[in-house]
Amino acid sequence: MQSELSGVSKIKIYMKNLFVLLLSMVSFSALSQETSKSTTRPASHHKYTLKVVNFDQLQAVLKKNDNKLYVVNFWATWCKPCVAELPVFMEVNNLYQFNPQFKMILVNMDDAMEIDSRIKPFIAKNKIQMDVYILDDNKRMNEWIPAVDQNWSGAIPATVIYRNGKKLSFKESEMNKKELVQLIKNYL
Amino acid sequence: MKRTGIIVSALVLLMFLMPASGQQLKKTSEQKGYKIGDVATDFRLKNVDNKMVSLSDFKSAKGFIVVFTCNHCPYAKAYQDRVIALNEKYASQGYPVIAINPNDPKLEPIDSFEGMQQRAKEKGFTFPYLLDDGQKIYPQYGASHTPHVFVLKKENGKNIVRYMGAIDDNYANPNDVSHKYVEAAVDQLLAGQPVALSSTKAIGCGIKTAKN
Repeated sequence: MQSELSGVSKIKIYMKNLFVLLLSMVSFSALSQETSKSTTRPASHHKYTLKVVNFDQLQAVLKKNDNKLYVVNFWATWCKPCVAELPVFMEVNNLYQFNPQFKMILVNMDDAMEIDSRIKPFIAKNKIQMDVYILDDNKRMNEWIPAVDQNWSGAIPATVIYRNGKKLSFKESEMNKKELVQLIKNYL
Repeated sequence: MKRTGIIVSALVLLMFLMPASGQQLKKTSEQKGYKIGDVATDFRLKNVDNKMVSLSDFKSAKGFIVVFTCNHCPYAKAYQDRVIALNEKYASQGYPVIAINPNDPKLEPIDSFEGMQQRAKEKGFTFPYLLDDGQKIYPQYGASHTPHVFVLKKENGKNIVRYMGAIDDNYANPNDVSHKYVEAAVDQLLAGQPVALSSTKAIGCGIKTAKN
Protein backbone atom coordinates (compact mmCIF):
# COMPACT_ATOMS: atom_id res chain seq x y z
CA MET A 1 0.00 0.00 0.00
CA GLN A 2 2.75 2.29 1.03
CA SER A 3 4.78 1.52 -2.07
CA GLU A 4 1.73 1.87 -4.37
CA LEU A 5 1.01 5.32 -2.99
CA SER A 6 4.54 6.44 -3.47
CA GLY A 7 4.35 5.05 -7.00
CA VAL A 8 1.32 7.19 -7.76
CA SER A 9 2.89 10.29 -6.27
CA LYS A 10 6.01 9.60 -8.31
CA ILE A 11 3.90 9.62 -11.48
CA LYS A 12 2.21 12.81 -10.32
CA ILE A 13 5.56 14.49 -9.79
CA TYR A 14 6.74 13.19 -13.14
CA MET A 15 3.64 14.58 -14.91
CA LYS A 16 4.06 17.89 -13.15
CA ASN A 17 7.71 18.09 -14.16
CA LEU A 18 6.85 17.19 -17.73
CA PHE A 19 4.22 19.92 -17.79
CA VAL A 20 6.68 22.50 -16.49
CA LEU A 21 9.24 21.35 -19.02
CA LEU A 22 6.74 21.55 -21.91
CA LEU A 23 5.55 24.95 -20.77
CA SER A 24 9.08 26.30 -20.59
CA MET A 25 9.88 24.86 -24.02
CA VAL A 26 6.83 26.55 -25.54
CA SER A 27 7.56 29.89 -23.92
CA PHE A 28 11.25 29.66 -24.83
CA SER A 29 10.50 29.00 -28.50
CA ALA A 30 8.04 31.90 -28.47
CA LEU A 31 10.72 34.09 -26.99
CA SER A 32 13.37 33.06 -29.49
CA GLN A 33 10.91 33.60 -32.33
CA GLU A 34 10.34 37.06 -31.06
CA THR A 35 14.10 37.58 -30.90
CA SER A 36 14.60 36.61 -34.50
CA LYS A 37 11.74 38.81 -35.62
CA SER A 38 12.82 41.99 -33.89
CA THR A 39 15.66 44.11 -35.27
CA THR A 40 17.14 44.70 -31.87
CA ARG A 41 18.10 41.80 -29.71
CA PRO A 42 17.66 41.06 -26.03
CA ALA A 43 21.16 40.60 -24.64
CA SER A 44 20.42 37.38 -22.82
CA HIS A 45 19.26 35.33 -25.79
CA HIS A 46 21.74 36.32 -28.42
CA LYS A 47 24.57 34.07 -29.41
CA TYR A 48 27.75 36.02 -29.69
CA THR A 49 30.53 35.37 -32.11
CA LEU A 50 33.82 33.99 -30.86
CA LYS A 51 36.15 33.40 -33.76
CA VAL A 52 39.85 33.11 -34.51
CA VAL A 53 40.73 35.34 -37.48
CA ASN A 54 43.72 36.68 -39.38
CA PHE A 55 44.04 40.39 -40.06
CA ASP A 56 42.36 40.29 -43.47
CA GLN A 57 39.37 38.46 -42.03
CA LEU A 58 39.23 40.97 -39.20
CA GLN A 59 39.29 43.88 -41.65
CA ALA A 60 36.30 42.37 -43.43
CA VAL A 61 34.39 42.35 -40.14
CA LEU A 62 35.31 45.88 -39.07
CA LYS A 63 35.18 47.67 -42.38
CA LYS A 64 31.67 46.95 -43.59
CA ASN A 65 29.73 49.44 -45.66
CA ASP A 66 26.64 49.21 -43.49
CA ASN A 67 26.50 52.70 -41.93
CA LYS A 68 27.18 51.20 -38.52
CA LEU A 69 29.60 52.78 -36.10
CA TYR A 70 32.11 50.07 -35.21
CA VAL A 71 33.74 50.60 -31.83
CA VAL A 72 36.65 48.20 -31.70
CA ASN A 73 38.71 47.48 -28.60
CA PHE A 74 42.03 45.60 -28.76
CA TRP A 75 42.65 43.76 -25.51
CA ALA A 76 44.04 40.61 -23.88
CA THR A 77 43.20 38.68 -20.74
CA TRP A 78 46.78 39.17 -19.48
CA CYS A 79 46.66 42.94 -19.98
CA LYS A 80 45.74 44.58 -16.67
CA PRO A 81 44.60 47.99 -17.97
CA CYS A 82 42.58 46.21 -20.69
CA VAL A 83 40.81 44.07 -18.13
CA ALA A 84 40.30 47.14 -15.96
CA GLU A 85 38.52 49.03 -18.74
CA LEU A 86 36.44 46.07 -20.00
CA PRO A 87 33.53 46.79 -17.62
CA VAL A 88 33.40 50.31 -19.07
CA PHE A 89 33.11 48.91 -22.58
CA MET A 90 30.46 46.41 -21.46
CA GLU A 91 28.48 49.13 -19.74
CA VAL A 92 28.67 51.46 -22.72
CA ASN A 93 27.74 48.62 -25.06
CA ASN A 94 24.66 48.01 -22.94
CA LEU A 95 23.72 51.65 -23.46
CA TYR A 96 24.00 51.52 -27.24
CA GLN A 97 23.52 47.89 -28.25
CA PHE A 98 19.92 48.39 -29.35
CA ASN A 99 20.92 51.18 -31.69
CA PRO A 100 21.00 49.50 -35.12
CA GLN A 101 23.76 51.90 -36.17
CA PHE A 102 26.09 50.81 -33.39
CA LYS A 103 28.29 47.77 -33.00
CA MET A 104 30.99 47.11 -30.43
CA ILE A 105 33.58 44.45 -31.12
CA LEU A 106 36.38 43.10 -28.95
CA VAL A 107 39.59 42.02 -30.66
CA ASN A 108 41.48 39.67 -28.40
CA MET A 109 45.27 39.46 -28.52
CA ASP A 110 45.79 36.37 -26.40
CA ASP A 111 47.52 33.35 -27.84
CA ALA A 112 44.80 31.71 -29.99
CA MET A 113 45.98 28.32 -28.70
CA GLU A 114 44.49 29.35 -25.34
CA ILE A 115 40.95 29.75 -26.66
CA ASP A 116 39.55 26.90 -24.55
CA SER A 117 41.89 27.04 -21.60
CA ARG A 118 41.84 30.79 -21.05
CA ILE A 119 39.77 32.95 -23.40
CA LYS A 120 36.42 31.13 -23.23
CA PRO A 121 36.50 30.81 -19.42
CA PHE A 122 37.38 34.51 -19.14
CA ILE A 123 34.45 35.51 -21.36
CA ALA A 124 32.07 33.30 -19.40
CA LYS A 125 33.31 34.43 -16.00
CA ASN A 126 33.07 38.11 -16.89
CA LYS A 127 29.76 37.64 -18.73
CA ILE A 128 31.03 39.40 -21.83
CA GLN A 129 28.09 39.74 -24.21
CA MET A 130 29.81 41.00 -27.32
CA ASP A 131 31.38 39.57 -30.44
CA VAL A 132 34.99 38.63 -29.73
CA TYR A 133 37.47 38.03 -32.54
CA ILE A 134 40.79 36.46 -31.59
CA LEU A 135 43.40 37.98 -33.87
CA ASP A 136 45.85 35.22 -34.69
CA ASP A 137 48.34 36.86 -37.02
CA ASN A 138 51.53 37.15 -34.98
CA LYS A 139 54.02 37.10 -37.75
CA ARG A 140 52.47 40.03 -39.58
CA MET A 141 52.24 42.38 -36.57
CA ASN A 142 54.66 44.74 -38.22
CA GLU A 143 52.23 45.05 -41.13
CA TRP A 144 48.91 45.22 -39.38
CA ILE A 145 49.79 47.44 -36.42
CA PRO A 146 50.66 50.40 -38.69
CA ALA A 147 47.72 49.44 -40.93
CA VAL A 148 45.36 49.94 -37.99
CA ASP A 149 47.05 53.25 -37.17
CA GLN A 150 50.40 54.82 -38.00
CA ASN A 151 50.69 56.11 -34.44
CA TRP A 152 50.00 52.81 -32.73
CA SER A 153 53.11 51.70 -30.83
CA GLY A 154 51.66 48.25 -30.28
CA ALA A 155 50.71 48.80 -26.65
CA ILE A 156 47.23 47.70 -25.60
CA PRO A 157 44.51 48.60 -24.81
CA ALA A 158 43.80 50.48 -28.01
CA THR A 159 40.42 51.53 -29.38
CA VAL A 160 39.51 52.25 -32.98
CA ILE A 161 36.26 53.57 -34.43
CA TYR A 162 35.21 52.85 -38.01
CA ARG A 163 32.23 53.61 -40.17
CA ASN A 164 31.82 52.37 -43.73
CA GLY A 165 35.43 51.24 -43.79
CA LYS A 166 36.75 54.64 -42.74
CA LYS A 167 38.69 55.09 -39.53
CA LEU A 168 37.18 57.92 -37.50
CA SER A 169 39.24 57.66 -34.34
CA PHE A 170 42.20 55.85 -32.81
CA LYS A 171 43.19 55.88 -29.16
CA GLU A 172 46.09 54.03 -27.58
CA SER A 173 45.35 54.06 -23.87
CA GLU A 174 42.80 53.15 -21.26
CA MET A 175 39.47 54.97 -21.36
CA ASN A 176 36.95 55.80 -18.68
CA LYS A 177 33.20 55.77 -19.28
CA LYS A 178 32.94 59.50 -19.84
CA GLU A 179 35.70 59.50 -22.46
CA LEU A 180 34.26 56.52 -24.31
CA VAL A 181 30.70 57.87 -24.33
CA GLN A 182 31.93 61.27 -25.50
CA LEU A 183 33.91 59.63 -28.29
CA ILE A 184 30.89 57.62 -29.44
CA LYS A 185 28.60 60.65 -29.23
CA ASN A 186 30.98 62.52 -31.54
CA TYR A 187 30.18 60.09 -34.32
CA LEU A 188 26.79 58.57 -33.59
CA MET B 1 14.94 71.10 -44.35
CA LYS B 2 15.59 70.41 -40.71
CA ARG B 3 17.56 67.34 -41.70
CA THR B 4 19.78 69.26 -44.09
CA GLY B 5 20.43 71.70 -41.29
CA ILE B 6 21.58 68.91 -39.04
CA ILE B 7 23.82 67.44 -41.73
CA VAL B 8 25.36 70.83 -42.50
CA SER B 9 26.01 71.58 -38.86
CA ALA B 10 27.47 68.11 -38.38
CA LEU B 11 29.81 68.71 -41.31
CA VAL B 12 30.83 72.09 -39.95
CA LEU B 13 31.44 70.50 -36.56
CA LEU B 14 33.52 67.77 -38.20
CA MET B 15 35.58 70.35 -40.07
CA PHE B 16 36.43 71.95 -36.76
CA LEU B 17 37.11 68.68 -35.01
CA MET B 18 39.19 66.89 -37.61
CA PRO B 19 42.22 69.16 -37.96
CA ALA B 20 42.32 69.60 -34.19
CA SER B 21 42.45 65.88 -33.50
CA GLY B 22 45.00 65.41 -36.29
CA GLN B 23 47.26 68.00 -34.74
CA GLN B 24 46.90 66.44 -31.35
CA LEU B 25 48.01 63.09 -32.69
CA LYS B 26 51.05 64.61 -34.33
CA LYS B 27 51.97 66.38 -31.14
CA THR B 28 51.82 63.25 -29.03
CA SER B 29 53.81 61.24 -31.55
CA GLU B 30 56.47 63.96 -31.51
CA GLN B 31 56.66 63.75 -27.76
CA LYS B 32 56.98 60.01 -27.94
CA GLY B 33 60.75 59.83 -27.91
CA TYR B 34 63.49 59.12 -30.38
CA LYS B 35 63.53 58.83 -34.11
CA ILE B 36 66.17 56.89 -36.02
CA GLY B 37 69.39 58.92 -35.99
CA ASP B 38 68.69 60.69 -32.69
CA VAL B 39 71.25 60.72 -29.89
CA ALA B 40 70.11 58.43 -27.07
CA THR B 41 70.60 59.62 -23.53
CA ASP B 42 72.90 57.84 -21.13
CA PHE B 43 71.62 56.95 -17.66
CA ARG B 44 72.75 55.83 -14.24
CA LEU B 45 70.40 53.11 -13.03
CA LYS B 46 70.63 50.43 -10.37
CA ASN B 47 71.38 46.92 -11.53
CA VAL B 48 70.08 43.76 -9.86
CA ASP B 49 73.56 43.39 -8.24
CA ASN B 50 72.97 46.78 -6.52
CA LYS B 51 75.65 48.49 -8.61
CA MET B 52 74.89 51.54 -10.71
CA VAL B 53 75.24 51.06 -14.47
CA SER B 54 75.72 53.61 -17.27
CA LEU B 55 76.30 53.15 -20.97
CA SER B 56 79.56 55.08 -20.53
CA ASP B 57 80.88 52.22 -18.35
CA PHE B 58 81.19 50.08 -21.47
CA LYS B 59 84.32 51.69 -22.87
CA SER B 60 85.00 49.11 -25.57
CA ALA B 61 81.40 48.68 -26.71
CA LYS B 62 80.57 49.54 -30.32
CA GLY B 63 76.95 49.96 -29.40
CA PHE B 64 74.13 48.56 -27.31
CA ILE B 65 71.00 46.47 -27.49
CA VAL B 66 68.79 48.31 -25.00
CA VAL B 67 65.75 46.19 -24.14
CA PHE B 68 62.88 47.66 -22.14
CA THR B 69 61.42 44.58 -20.53
CA CYS B 70 59.87 43.41 -17.28
CA ASN B 71 58.84 40.44 -15.19
CA HIS B 72 55.06 40.39 -15.47
CA CYS B 73 54.34 40.76 -19.19
CA PRO B 74 53.73 37.49 -21.06
CA TYR B 75 55.26 38.94 -24.23
CA ALA B 76 58.38 40.03 -22.34
CA LYS B 77 58.59 36.63 -20.67
CA ALA B 78 58.23 34.86 -24.00
CA TYR B 79 61.31 36.75 -25.22
CA GLN B 80 63.58 36.31 -22.16
CA ASP B 81 65.51 33.36 -23.55
CA ARG B 82 65.95 35.15 -26.87
CA VAL B 83 67.29 38.24 -25.05
CA ILE B 84 69.82 36.03 -23.26
CA ALA B 85 70.79 34.55 -26.65
CA LEU B 86 71.20 38.04 -28.12
CA ASN B 87 73.66 38.97 -25.37
CA GLU B 88 75.55 35.72 -25.82
CA LYS B 89 75.89 36.32 -29.52
CA TYR B 90 76.61 40.05 -29.60
CA ALA B 91 78.25 41.13 -26.30
CA SER B 92 81.55 39.67 -27.47
CA GLN B 93 81.14 41.49 -30.80
CA GLY B 94 80.73 44.83 -29.06
CA TYR B 95 76.92 45.03 -28.71
CA PRO B 96 75.96 44.02 -25.17
CA VAL B 97 72.35 43.80 -24.02
CA ILE B 98 71.23 46.33 -21.42
CA ALA B 99 67.80 45.42 -20.02
CA ILE B 100 65.72 48.07 -18.31
CA ASN B 101 62.47 47.56 -16.41
CA PRO B 102 60.44 50.73 -17.03
CA ASN B 103 57.37 49.84 -14.96
CA ASP B 104 56.31 51.51 -11.74
CA PRO B 105 56.59 48.68 -9.18
CA LYS B 106 53.79 50.28 -7.15
CA LEU B 107 51.41 49.44 -9.98
CA GLU B 108 52.95 46.07 -10.81
CA PRO B 109 54.44 44.50 -7.67
CA ILE B 110 55.98 41.60 -9.64
CA ASP B 111 58.14 44.22 -11.34
CA SER B 112 59.72 45.38 -8.07
CA PHE B 113 63.50 45.54 -7.72
CA GLU B 114 63.40 42.36 -5.62
CA GLY B 115 61.26 40.71 -8.30
CA MET B 116 63.86 41.69 -10.88
CA GLN B 117 66.67 40.24 -8.77
CA GLN B 118 64.75 37.00 -8.46
CA ARG B 119 64.02 36.79 -12.19
CA ALA B 120 67.61 37.57 -13.15
CA LYS B 121 68.80 34.79 -10.84
CA GLU B 122 66.21 32.26 -12.05
CA LYS B 123 66.89 32.87 -15.72
CA GLY B 124 70.63 33.42 -15.30
CA PHE B 125 70.69 36.85 -16.94
CA THR B 126 74.20 37.54 -18.26
CA PHE B 127 73.51 41.24 -18.77
CA PRO B 128 72.56 44.19 -16.57
CA TYR B 129 68.88 44.33 -15.60
CA LEU B 130 68.23 47.87 -14.44
CA LEU B 131 65.27 49.54 -12.79
CA ASP B 132 64.16 52.83 -14.33
CA ASP B 133 63.63 54.19 -10.83
CA GLY B 134 61.44 57.28 -11.03
CA GLN B 135 60.62 56.43 -14.68
CA LYS B 136 62.79 59.18 -16.13
CA ILE B 137 64.56 57.22 -18.86
CA TYR B 138 61.91 55.28 -20.79
CA PRO B 139 59.90 58.39 -21.78
CA GLN B 140 63.03 59.95 -23.28
CA TYR B 141 63.56 56.86 -25.41
CA GLY B 142 59.89 56.70 -26.23
CA ALA B 143 59.52 53.13 -25.06
CA SER B 144 55.79 52.43 -24.95
CA HIS B 145 55.52 48.76 -24.16
CA THR B 146 57.51 45.73 -23.11
CA PRO B 147 59.47 44.28 -24.77
CA HIS B 148 60.66 47.30 -26.77
CA VAL B 149 64.19 47.32 -28.19
CA PHE B 150 66.51 50.19 -29.12
CA VAL B 151 69.74 49.33 -30.91
CA LEU B 152 72.28 52.11 -30.41
CA LYS B 153 75.53 52.60 -32.29
CA LYS B 154 78.42 54.53 -30.81
CA GLU B 155 79.41 57.26 -33.21
CA ASN B 156 81.92 59.92 -32.13
CA GLY B 157 81.24 59.16 -28.49
CA LYS B 158 77.48 59.47 -28.90
CA ASN B 159 74.96 56.66 -28.86
CA ILE B 160 72.86 56.98 -31.99
CA VAL B 161 69.50 55.21 -32.34
CA ARG B 162 69.78 52.86 -35.34
CA TYR B 163 66.88 50.48 -34.74
CA MET B 164 63.71 50.51 -32.66
CA GLY B 165 60.98 47.95 -32.25
CA ALA B 166 60.50 44.24 -31.91
CA ILE B 167 63.05 41.46 -31.43
CA ASP B 168 61.62 39.28 -34.19
CA ASP B 169 58.33 38.52 -35.90
CA ASN B 170 56.96 35.75 -33.72
CA TYR B 171 56.70 36.20 -29.98
CA ALA B 172 54.73 33.01 -29.48
CA ASN B 173 56.95 30.53 -31.27
CA PRO B 174 60.73 31.01 -31.47
CA ASN B 175 60.91 28.07 -33.86
CA ASP B 176 58.70 29.81 -36.40
CA VAL B 177 60.50 33.13 -36.77
CA SER B 178 61.04 34.46 -40.29
CA HIS B 179 62.59 37.84 -39.49
CA LYS B 180 65.08 38.38 -36.69
CA TYR B 181 64.83 42.16 -36.72
CA VAL B 182 67.36 42.96 -33.98
CA GLU B 183 69.93 40.43 -35.22
CA ALA B 184 69.63 41.77 -38.75
CA ALA B 185 70.10 45.34 -37.52
CA VAL B 186 73.16 44.54 -35.39
CA ASP B 187 74.68 42.40 -38.17
CA GLN B 188 74.29 45.27 -40.61
CA LEU B 189 75.82 47.75 -38.16
CA LEU B 190 78.74 45.40 -37.52
CA ALA B 191 79.25 45.15 -41.28
CA GLY B 192 79.28 48.95 -41.52
CA GLN B 193 76.00 48.99 -43.43
CA PRO B 194 72.90 51.06 -42.81
CA VAL B 195 70.04 49.22 -41.10
CA ALA B 196 67.58 48.21 -43.82
CA LEU B 197 64.54 47.77 -41.56
CA SER B 198 65.10 50.33 -38.83
CA SER B 199 61.69 50.37 -37.19
CA THR B 200 59.14 47.66 -36.50
CA LYS B 201 55.96 47.33 -34.49
CA ALA B 202 54.76 44.56 -32.22
CA ILE B 203 52.06 44.13 -29.61
CA GLY B 204 53.29 44.42 -26.06
CA CYS B 205 52.28 45.34 -22.53
CA GLY B 206 51.87 49.06 -22.05
CA ILE B 207 54.38 50.50 -19.59
CA LYS B 208 52.78 50.90 -16.18
CA THR B 209 52.87 54.45 -14.99
CA ALA B 210 50.76 56.30 -12.45
CA LYS B 211 48.29 58.70 -14.06
CA ASN B 212 48.98 62.28 -13.15
